[in-house]
Amino acid sequence: MEESTTGDWSETGLDESDGGDRDIEQIPEAETIIEARNLDVYYGEERALNDVSMSIPEQKVTAIIGPSGCGKSTFLRSINRMNDLIDIANVTGELCFKGKNVYDEDVDAVALRRQVGMVFQAPNPFPKSIYDNVAYGPRIQNDTENLDEQVEQALRQAALWDEVKDRLDERGTDLSGGQQQRLCIARAIAVDPEVVLMDEPASALDPVATSKIEDLIDELSEDYTVVIVTHNMQQAARISDKTAVFLTGGHLVEYGETDRIFQNPRNERVEDYISGKFG
Amino acid sequence: MSEHNPDTAFAGVSRLRGRIFGSLAKAASWLGVVVLAWLLFMVVVDAFGLTAASTDWYLGALVGFGAPLATYSAYLYWKRPDLRWIAVRATVIPPAGLIFAGAIFVLFLVFEPFFWFLYYTIAVLPAVAVYGHFATRDDTRAPLAAGFVGVVGLVIGYFVEPLILIMPLPWIMLVWVLVVPAGALIAYRQAPEDRQQQVTILGTGVAGGVLASYLGPALIGVTPDTAVILYAATLLPVAWYNGAVLANDRSAWPGLLGPVVALGAIGGGIVLGGLVGTTGPEPVLDWQFLTSAPSTLPANAGLFPAIVGSVFIIAIVAIVSFVVGVGAAIYLEEYAPQTGVGGTITRIIRVNIANLAGVPSVVYGLLGLGLFVNLIGMGLGIVLVAGLTLSLLILPIVIISAQEAIRSVPEEVREASYGMGATRWQTIREVVLPRAVPGVLTGTILALSRAIGETAPLLMIGAATTVFRPPTGFASQVSAMPLQVFYWSFHQKSAFRELIAPAGVVTLLVVMLSMNVLAIYLRNRYEQQA
Ligand SMILES: Nc1ncnc2c1ncn2[C@@H]1O[C@H](COP(=O)(O)OP(=O)(O)OP(=O)(O)O)[C@@H](O)[C@H]1O
Ligand SMILES: [Mg+2]
Repeated sequence: MEESTTGDWSETGLDESDGGDRDIEQIPEAETIIEARNLDVYYGEERALNDVSMSIPEQKVTAIIGPSGCGKSTFLRSINRMNDLIDIANVTGELCFKGKNVYDEDVDAVALRRQVGMVFQAPNPFPKSIYDNVAYGPRIQNDTENLDEQVEQALRQAALWDEVKDRLDERGTDLSGGQQQRLCIARAIAVDPEVVLMDEPASALDPVATSKIEDLIDELSEDYTVVIVTHNMQQAARISDKTAVFLTGGHLVEYGETDRIFQNPRNERVEDYISGKFG
Repeated sequence: MSEHNPDTAFAGVSRLRGRIFGSLAKAASWLGVVVLAWLLFMVVVDAFGLTAASTDWYLGALVGFGAPLATYSAYLYWKRPDLRWIAVRATVIPPAGLIFAGAIFVLFLVFEPFFWFLYYTIAVLPAVAVYGHFATRDDTRAPLAAGFVGVVGLVIGYFVEPLILIMPLPWIMLVWVLVVPAGALIAYRQAPEDRQQQVTILGTGVAGGVLASYLGPALIGVTPDTAVILYAATLLPVAWYNGAVLANDRSAWPGLLGPVVALGAIGGGIVLGGLVGTTGPEPVLDWQFLTSAPSTLPANAGLFPAIVGSVFIIAIVAIVSFVVGVGAAIYLEEYAPQTGVGGTITRIIRVNIANLAGVPSVVYGLLGLGLFVNLIGMGLGIVLVAGLTLSLLILPIVIISAQEAIRSVPEEVREASYGMGATRWQTIREVVLPRAVPGVLTGTILALSRAIGETAPLLMIGAATTVFRPPTGFASQVSAMPLQVFYWSFHQKSAFRELIAPAGVVTLLVVMLSMNVLAIYLRNRYEQQA
């Protein structure tokens, strides 16, 4: 992977603006789909993200790792403005999706979320039938012309079709944990979003279910941009093209090619974190 | 510390305090149950004049009642245990249908059949049709479109109603309003795919309704309208259930004998008791009591106007408190600001609603008097004022229980919906409300059953304790069951205090308990779904 991309990605060295404690690689504008510029998020007085700038490439898997409480979920949720739902959350700086700052006045968060889907840490299917779960997105968008096909396709993409095709009217909440999470992925991709955000999608699953989800993410990256938060270092190394390491205080400390980050981190604290000295 | 003594290592931890607490709690619960049961027993004894019956009557009645029941139960228990629940359901459906028929009857008493006929035809039916049209195409605008059509129909109906002078016979209107939709529902549920069979079921159902309107007057001496109501609320459900059971499994027919056996047991008890016994009970609470107006003679006294009044008041309270209460709860939980100045106001409102729930009911009576009668100028003691006042009374309880139910919907499910790009309203309608429904319904019905027993606020707004005719509209003078009982319990004649009042109490309690049973049933039903 390293060889194939070195030409495409220009790696800048240290980010001069902030005391040299960070190592953020840039990618060319054309392939960037999401770009954070000096993004800060506060919960009341508490600063959860500290001046984060990074660009996320289109149709790749970008992993976000870091110790607990360092702001990974906060970053993810600021991409599709889920932080709007938290009254005390306050965002400053810019987060551009396809070149448009999503925090601009004229951006409708609801419309944004229809293009940026999300899968949560704990599987959270609706207490509806399997079919209705997947059909939820198309229905709320009034896009129901070929609902049956849309549902089938999403379930196939989520590698769940064969397991549930005979019981589509059973409740989504009656499935096993791993199936529920794949159902949630199917639900998220049924509306054909541009980006799928995943917050530790496999942390509640056993190894077999986890590897299914990982295969799935691999396939999804052909059609979608995937941003995934994970606590599992091996998982990040296995599935992602790029990796961002956040450390305590909401700092993005290092960002670059996954292989490079894991084999040859430039930042000492990142090296300590990856090698398990803290976290 | 580090010594290991095998004898004392697992000697046990003291649970004495826990045991004492457990026993006390148990004793307290039992005390409550026993006291309540004793009270119930006493009023039932008075209401049915059970002391008048001789011992041999009880023996005869017990045999007559018990023998068929025991035989049937034994048969089910040993031979067909699989039919147990079928038998229970089959036995419950007819009385439930009768109660339902009574409720419909009261509604048609208050508004004429023509009222229902007009609005059903011009508003409800088109709205349902539009809803079906959109819903089958999976269009989320279905409720909106249906609501629009319905409101337009209501408005048209309002202006057209006085202009219509010729109308069909009441029983024909009843067949159209009650039997046709019920038949259509059964047809759709029983044969969702099969058009042919749907038509057959619907046709049979409607033909039965027409037949009932002729046979009812001839056989049991009711009016054709009443016959149609009885048919739609009682016979149709029974036929549906029996038909469904038999279609599923022909050999299940013994389970359907439940209601016949129950009826036989009651009849057998009465007949055998009468044959063997020297004196039978002298029930005060009988058909005559339920269907006649109050009287100065204990023998003629009845509760009918008060029952209709209570049903009418409760209908208003149910609609007003449900709509306003659930709306307020949704606002407070989902829309109201939670931080800043707005958040402080929200919190103040919340705390005050909780306080209002504890305000004595007399005070609500004063509020109703001041607000509706003095300020707005509605009449003293009329149905509308009574309903609105009791709505105010239970509104805090409805709001609080609905808030609890809405709050108990997990945040993750909400986030999932918002994360899909749902608007707040879509999230509330599709995700929050369906999960909150059991809690909201339970809370509302329990609050209603409190409202139905309220006396003081009704006295405050000037409701009469005794009226001789049931209310005929929103502006009629009204009494209610607890008011009537209150009046009887202070009557100079001891027969009223000792016999008639208990009969009223039992009626009131039966209504309240049925409402609570309904609440529990609804909750269980929805909880299985959610
Ligand atoms: N709703 C909230 N209200 C207040 N503070 C919050 C809220 N959500 C997160 N925080 C704070 O923001 C910081 C970052 O939280 P975040 O959830 O983004 O961490 P994370 O990296 O996802 O951690 P984890 O790996 O444990 O999920 C934490 O210090 C947390 O206490
Ligand atoms: Mg997190």
